[in-house]
Amino acid sequence: MKKTSERIEALAAEYVLGSLRGPARRRFERWMMESVRVRQEVWFWEQKLGHLGERIEEATPPASVWSEIERRLWPQSMGARPAPAANDGVGHWLWPGWSLLATAAALVLAVVLLQQPAPQDDQRLSGAIVQAELSDPLWLVSESAFEKQLKLRPVAATAAEQGKDYELWIVPDDGQPVSLGVMPVGDAYEVILDDETRKLLSSSRTLAISLEPAGGSPTGAPTGPILHVAKLYEL
Amino acid sequence: MATDTEQDELMGLLIAVAREDRQAFQRLYEKISGRMFGLCLKLASQRELAEEAVQDAFVQIWHHAGEYHDERGAPLSWMLTIARYRTLDLMRSRKAKKTAGDSQLEYVEDGREGPLDVSLRSAGVAELTGCLEELSESQRDSILLTYYRGFSHDELSETLSSPIGTVKSWVRRGLIALKRCLER
Repeated sequence: MKKTSERIEALAAEYVLGSLRGPARRRFERWMMESVRVRQEVWFWEQKLGHLGERIEEATPPASVWSEIERRLWPQSMGARPAPAANDGVGHWLWPGWSLLATAAALVLAVVLLQQPAPQDDQRLSGAIVQAELSDPLWLVSESAFEKQLKLRPVAATAAEQGKDYELWIVPDDGQPVSLGVMPVGDAYEVILDDETRKLLSSSRTLAISLEPAGGSPTGAPTGPILHVAKLYEL
Repeated sequence: MATDTEQDELMGLLIAVAREDRQAFQRLYEKISGRMFGLCLKLASQRELAEEAVQDAFVQIWHHAGEYHDERGAPLSWMLTIARYRTLDLMRSRKAKKTAGDSQLEYVEDGREGPLDVSLRSAGVAELTGCLEELSESQRDSILLTYYRGFSHDELSETLSSPIGTVKSWVRRGLIALKRCLER
């Protein structure tokens, strides 16, 4: 679709308003990345419509909201929380791409607890790998204890760059990440978990995706940047 | 509406947050979380989702404070915009998981006075320097319902009892007319 100024004008307004949805919204986000003219149009509307938000009646969020923000940003300084004690133990594994992730913050990670339409008895862990400013999650994740498998369904995920692959990892509470293989993009990825990997996952509930040379990490540990880290939730 | 002094103060806090000042971050939270939560709650009509959106928004603000610049609006509206986008994302990812046949109108039928209460309508009119008044009532309501309540075209069509093509054009033409007025 051509970026005529009428189109940019109309789409930017609907983007900010929120009525532009689904693939059209994602397409427009690509336009925003490509063109400063498009971004400026978006900023115009963010500025104008932003005022509408300032008049809304205030509501005090519960204290748990702030403590959760602190926990997410500074898990180490939260003391004896029940969160996985990743910093305990000698020789704990250092996250190779962590600082890159935290400072560059090209991707902001968040995890959504997805409401299941009809909770199935056997489904235990669930979540989504999302990227800020994309309206759809990249992948939806579900773990079925009954079938002993983990399933990632791509929603908005796009293929890795040429010559690269995405590799999926369990990040255990302690020790090296465990590879769950290279994920094809386009199809749902299902991996059978043996008892040991299942135990690791149900304890740490943390998955990561790294960018690796085609075919996966040559060393057995992540070598490329960690693109996503996602925490799963129990349903 | 935030005063200029307050916007200056928020700007100062945002600059400190960009330098990873945690105390400034907490002050920022104390200053704006009420307004942000109110906005998310209005939009989502679900406390749990609104709480999550505020958390996500503040995590993003912590990481992206350095990317703020004045073309993106006043500091407060920039931060509220982040929270608003996040709320819309969460609403959609959850709705996508729901089965068809769920009431599209759950947001309307929550026992409140209606899809768009009078106070919001008049607030909108004042903030957009009277430009909303120049729109037709249907255009204005469509825009405000989408903004404040996160309505999709389908939901608008149902709420306003009008065909989807009609509500789409109310939104589109309303926005264009609004822009012409704001640019004057």
